[in-house]
Amino acid sequence: MMELTLDQGATALAPWSGLREAVRSTILLGWREVRTAFRTPAYLLPNLIVPVFFYFVMVGSLDTFAGGFGIDNWEAFQLPLAILFAVQGGSAGLNMVADIESGYFDKLLVTPTNRLSILVGALSADFLRIMVQATLVLVVAIAVGLDFATGLPGALTLILLSSAWGLSYSGIGFAIALKTGNAQATQSMWVLFMPLLFLTTAFAPKEALSGWLETAAMFNPMTYLLDGMRSLSLYGWDAGDLAGAVLAVVGLGSVTLTLAFLALRSRIR
Amino acid sequence: MTIIADNETRPLRIDIPAPERRHSIEAQGLRKEFPGGIVAVAGIDLDIHESEIFGFLGPNGAGKTTTLRMLTTLLRPTAGRATVAGFDLYRQTHDIRRSIGVALQEAGLDMMSTGRELLELQAQLFGIGRPQAKDRATELLELLGLVDAADRQIKTYSGGMKRRLDLASALVHGPRLLFLDEPTEGLDPASRQAVWHEISRLNRQFGVTVFLTTHYLEEADHLADRLAIIDQGRIVAEGTPTSLKASIGSGVVTVATKRDRLEDAGRVLGELEGLTELRVDEMGLTLFVNDGNGVVANVVRMLDSAGIPVGSVAVSQPTLDEVFLRATGSRLEGAGPEGGKQQ
Repeated sequence: MMELTLDQGATALAPWSGLREAVRSTILLGWREVRTAFRTPAYLLPNLIVPVFFYFVMVGSLDTFAGGFGIDNWEAFQLPLAILFAVQGGSAGLNMVADIESGYFDKLLVTPTNRLSILVGALSADFLRIMVQATLVLVVAIAVGLDFATGLPGALTLILLSSAWGLSYSGIGFAIALKTGNAQATQSMWVLFMPLLFLTTAFAPKEALSGWLETAAMFNPMTYLLDGMRSLSLYGWDAGDLAGAVLAVVGLGSVTLTLAFLALRSRIR
Repeated sequence: MTIIADNETRPLRIDIPAPERRHSIEAQGLRKEFPGGIVAVAGIDLDIHESEIFGFLGPNGAGKTTTLRMLTTLLRPTAGRATVAGFDLYRQTHDIRRSIGVALQEAGLDMMSTGRELLELQAQLFGIGRPQAKDRATELLELLGLVDAADRQIKTYSGGMKRRLDLASALVHGPRLLFLDEPTEGLDPASRQAVWHEISRLNRQFGVTVFLTTHYLEEADHLADRLAIIDQGRIVAEGTPTSLKASIGSGVVTVATKRDRLEDAGRVLGELEGLTELRVDEMGLTLFVNDGNGVVANVVRMLDSAGIPVGSVAVSQPTLDEVFLRATGSRLEGAGPEGGKQQ
């Protein structure tokens, strides 16, 4: 081993303001997450392929029943569901668990980095991943003939809305990751998705639901998100449906992201 | 105050306040109690001076790492007060983090990054500009012999390479105070020597203060200017290695006999002239005496007179293992070929 020198010049620290320092740290740590995602295609690829596959299966197999529900454009009806599969199927929080288990999380905590930057950086990278996945599903659907009711502005709105929902959902993963530091517990988050998904208008329109399922769907925020997304893909601009979807996203996000930040606070001393 | 150039035209200046730093670490009554009433550190005092290597020696579970985690702001103490690098442990954590370098026991590294990427990011998180961070990473990689592996993912590194990279990452910002938690744990002898060499050099050449935890006696003896022995959350002995060894007399006599005669032998040798302390354990009898060579004949004669067979009698200079034995009543785990070297 060669001998180590310690350049005293490197002792100097830039006199950043707190905010500038926090933003820069967030970008640096977010970029690290993106880089890690690209280096672990085993996590990334299933979330890109499965929703597209799901879209084709649902469209191909149930198209003939669509008329019975009074739906003309079955592809546009199914698209939001495929996108939700994409944005909620991720591995949110697993990288953070890996950092906690390896001790790298502590390494970050002994730098002067703003604590929030560690979580916000990871969330930002996750938001980017979610947007890419949602866009891919949409692009494939359009490429194979989907007729999207609100055109490009509507498509962009759909991507933003679904990605914000995906981020809110990721908040659960990050909260569990930070609270437990356990990969199995974090992965089990996927289980939460299933009841939420089935107790909605995911597979049939509201009018086709009855009894307790209708009641459950009424209290499920995902129902309102799907309504908003379908208004964009299937019917056209509808302020009421969109407002319901935005409220659902904000509602879920407020709870899950608060839990994630509380979990961060409990972990850092 | 140090000045570096952020770019060619605009110099940047440190804005860390410069408090009186005669004491690098000062602590009183530092205590950590975990939920369930588990007391990991039972109220310790520390006074570590600038530019010294301070060894914190103890067995696994003694409270070494908990103490280090408190001093590096990773754990909030339950009670007590402390200053680290001149900053208050409760109110100036940000300043402490900017002033210290930390290499933790797990060699906490991002396995998916390359060595170069890790060092560049670490430097930038300390506020160093990107071009300087690149230069700093290159410099540290060269100097720690990691150039060939610099652009490989860390998950492909050997244990020794990970330790060296971890040490490099603790040095990216040129800290004046370095915390090393079991820095040579799990390393082969050659890598251990290399790490010792770098720690000594950092201290000697640049005056870096080092707080080092270890359960290797030889490591503490070799590196530390002063050391504290911690056992069950309490400091049981403190001083320079030389003074600690001198405190138990000028010689140590180890006597082996039949296991079922150990108690009898202890009773007989309790009358030995010049004896300062006697310990009996399953390995035999350990006698702390003023003159090791001078008492051997008496030891053999007394045991012989009492009809107790003598397996062997060995005289040695006191080691930290004997210091530990005397302070705690048991030998340190890991003492032996690696640690309790007879001198």
